Amino acid sequence: MLRVREGDDTSFALLLERHRGPVIHFLYRMVQNPSVSEELAQEVFLRVYRSRATYEPTAKFTTWLFRIATHLALNWVRDGKKEKGQESLDEQVVDGVDRQVRDRQPTIEQEMLYQVKMTEVRKAIDALPAKQRAAVLMHKYEELEYSQIARALNCSESAVKSLLFRAYETLRARLAHMAG
Amino acid sequence: MNCPAKKNEDAGIFLDYCAQSLPPARMAEFEDHLKQCADCSRLVDAQQQVWTALDEWTPAPVSSNFDARLYARIAQEQAAPSWMTWLRRFFHPPVPYSLWKAAVPVAACAVLAAGILIRMPDAASAPHPQLRAEKIDIEKVEQTLEDLDILTPAAQAPVGSM
Repeated sequence: MLRVREGDDTSFALLLERHRGPVIHFLYRMVQNPSVSEELAQEVFLRVYRSRATYEPTAKFTTWLFRIATHLALNWVRDGKKEKGQESLDEQVVDGVDRQVRDRQPTIEQEMLYQVKMTEVRKAIDALPAKQRAAVLMHKYEELEYSQIARALNCSESAVKSLLFRAYETLRARLAHMAG
Repeated sequence: MNCPAKKNEDAGIFLDYCAQSLPPARMAEFEDHLKQCADCSRLVDAQQQVWTALDEWTPAPVSSNFDARLYARIAQEQAAPSWMTWLRRFFHPPVPYSLWKAAVPVAACAVLAAGILIRMPDAASAPHPQLRAEKIDIEKVEQTLEDLDILTPAAQAPVGSM
């Protein structure tokens, strides 16, 4: 990022290459809509590019990046835009399943089971309060440290641990029937 | 070790254990504890089931034209006038402003409002047109009375003194 600040555009391309996937996947799981997640991710990288001149490395770049992404996702959820995007959710998830089906060539029964299971997982994640959801996604999928999640969510590390504990407790209860 | 299932402040160990992020010594200690604690074993099993379920959730693939769209937007912004870029940076900062930073414009507005209020009494103390009219009327009355006073002695003066 420091090289991007100096005006090195190839470094920005490298940053984009490295972080594009994690940011889009995080946003996708936050908003559960592929087109919205890409739109938000575009805004994240646009803001990164816009602020390249004033960037100060006070924390890890990933932390800063996820702070921007979390901020945009939480705003999107807060503004109730979720309802609008929800319509395309099932359709898109079927796309995801199709991709999975092609990869592993499962039977129709396996495919249906997988679909049911994923719907349960998505619903369980979606039902979490937005901050808990963001904390779980950053912890589970992006493997960020507690301190990084705390900075992204603008709260203390102990608050993050508490958010995560409550979130996983809820998920354990909601997904308990999937065991076995 | 103390049983983390019974001590709330140690509850994070279940998450760290499942995430394989415990330091080796702590990991070994916790695994020893798991062998003799049914409560903790149950919690670890439940957490691992959640972990496995979440692992299976694969996100949708990224559009192939994602970068192209982004670079087009960047080019569009660079072609825009610089004041627009400045406005964008001001109204859409990468991360939200700190509260104290937000307090600066609020304080500036408060000072401005106070300044306006301080100036307001001048305007309020200016005589109301109606009041001014009444004042003029009083002056006229006084003038009339003075005129009468001047006239009165002349009227009362003895005839011989003329």
